[in-house]
Amino acid sequence: MNTQHAVNIVMIEDDEGHARLIEKNIRRAGIFNDIRHFTDGTSALDYLYHAPEGPAHNGPALILLDLNLPDMSGTDILARIKEEANPLKRTPVVVLTTTDDKVEIQRCYELGCNVYITKPVNYQSFADAIRQLGLFLSVIQVPDIAEANG
Amino acid sequence: MRSDRRFNRLVVTAVTFGFALLIGVGIAGLATILQNQAKTRLVDHTYRVERAIGQYRVLSERLEAARRGLLLRNDTGLQNTFTQTAQQIEPALVQLQQLTIDNPHQQQNVAHAITLSRMHLATLNRSVGWLRQGHRDRAIASFNMDESLPLIRKIRTIADRMTAEEDRLLQIREADQRRTLAAFYITVALAAVLLVIVGVGSIWIIVGYTRDLTNSRDALHRLNSNLEGAVRERTIDLQRANEELQRFAYIVSHDLRAPLVNIMGFTAELESAASRLSAMFDRAEQEAPALVDQGARLAVREDLPEAIGFIRTSSQKMDRLINAILRLSREGRRPITPELLDMHALLQGLVDMHRHQLDERGIALSIASDVPDIVSDRLAIEQIVGNIVGNAIKYTAPDRQARIDISGRADGSRAIFEIADNGRGIDPRDHDRIFDLFRRSGQQDQPGEGIGLAHTRALAYRLGGTISVESELGRGATFRIDLPIVFGAEQGMTS
Repeated sequence: MNTQHAVNIVMIEDDEGHARLIEKNIRRAGIFNDIRHFTDGTSALDYLYHAPEGPAHNGPALILLDLNLPDMSGTDILARIKEEANPLKRTPVVVLTTTDDKVEIQRCYELGCNVYITKPVNYQSFADAIRQLGLFLSVIQVPDIAEANG
Repeated sequence: MRSDRRFNRLVVTAVTFGFALLIGVGIAGLATILQNQAKTRLVDHTYRVERAIGQYRVLSERLEAARRGLLLRNDTGLQNTFTQTAQQIEPALVQLQQLTIDNPHQQQNVAHAITLSRMHLATLNRSVGWLRQGHRDRAIASFNMDESLPLIRKIRTIADRMTAEEDRLLQIREADQRRTLAAFYITVALAAVLLVIVGVGSIWIIVGYTRDLTNSRDALHRLNSNLEGAVRERTIDLQRANEELQRFAYIVSHDLRAPLVNIMGFTAELESAASRLSAMFDRAEQEAPALVDQGARLAVREDLPEAIGFIRTSSQKMDRLINAILRLSREGRRPITPELLDMHALLQGLVDMHRHQLDERGIALSIASDVPDIVSDRLAIEQIVGNIVGNAIKYTAPDRQARIDISGRADGSRAIFEIADNGRGIDPRDHDRIFDLFRRSGQQDQPGEGIGLAHTRALAYRLGGTISVESELGRGATFRIDLPIVFGAEQGMTS
């Protein structure tokens, strides 16, 4: 509706350490949007679809998704978000995972992931990659609320 | 085995003996036939002699009859008969004499007969002479008193005696003939029996041998197919184990990465925090030296950077290892695409890739011209051979001209490639170890993680092959790669 409607960041990441590092680097990149952190897929999906302040009902969001989750595979979540006639279809999804397996990356893009970031062990490149997210966030088109709800 | 050989020798001897006996019997049979023929000839001869005696007797009687006829009726027909018969007597006797030349007893009889006949003929001629001159009465008178009647009786007696002699001989000879014939029949019967025995024996032995041969061939075949089955099973086991290992490696390395990201990440955080602390410490040292104690200085200046440094290098090493495992498992999951490989060209290409290093280190490398071509995965073969050649280049012995020889040969359905170097060699105790992941052998003076040979072996297993090494410390090493000539031809399953 307007830019006052800040983009919420939904982080689905089971590793607390990773989550903390991601958050730190996002903040360091000068992004101060809300970050909602979920450590499993079930509660994350519940929030995405049903929470009153969640992205399905209320405004734009960015989803940071880890592929290795304890209760379900990240690709399943990705597939559900990006399926046809889903209110979240246009919500950008950034896949963040340790795998740099080409097959898996390709599969994620085929399912509709917008950005794929490998968590490198080299921390500097990791931090750099997260910082790129800042740029990415700044160019996200805030969708019309009616459309988002439709 | 030994008793078997003895039995065989016995059998051969028996068969040889049987055939020799058969030949002996054959010769005996032949001899009997010849003997029988000789006896038959003798019998025949006797008959001829008897015929000649009969002839002589008939001639003598006819002569006597002709003379009597002439006494009754003097005509030319009878005279001719008399003259002709008179002329035949002598030759008949000569023939008889010749026929019985082997019998002195008969010779004597014949000589006697000749004398008698001559006397007889002389008497008759005289009587017939008178008839011709017309003295018929004188002729008749002489007939009544002359010698001719007693003479003809004597002639009959002598002829009878000669016939009797020949009959005696005939009996003996016919008995002889019968005996030889009987001997011949016995020989033939013996030969038949012997033939049957030798024949049956030979057939029995041949059948026995054939059965043994068939049995052992079947056994060999069974054994062979069992062996093939065992090899196939073993290959499948290896492949399964290999696949399991690949999966395990993938999962482990993947899951190990997540904590490692944390370790590295928070180490970096720690480092930046430590550098801030260090900066603050510097300021404190300048502005309020009283606050600074030796322990805190040591902690900030040395302990923290050292700890962070070790954590960093260790986790970096761990990252390298995990990446290596990941690469290995990823390679292991790459689909195998078999194609016909011109091995000589492939090897030459590999060597050309190492040309720079080879020239730099002055290593002589040769590829045998007769390496067999195989159907396999190009990339995998290149990696296997490239790895081993790379090792050979890396671990040369400094005290001699280094050389590497690549050769290959086909052995049944397998192709065996050998890469031999004269480098520093591998301690036999490490021969198994070097194929394990992260394990290395000898002096650790070359960079490396201990992955190459593990990778090589995993690839060889995937291709349905094996890899082994023969080496002694300081004596060079020979790596032997044993691969199926056609990939998938002898595997139950491929991944």
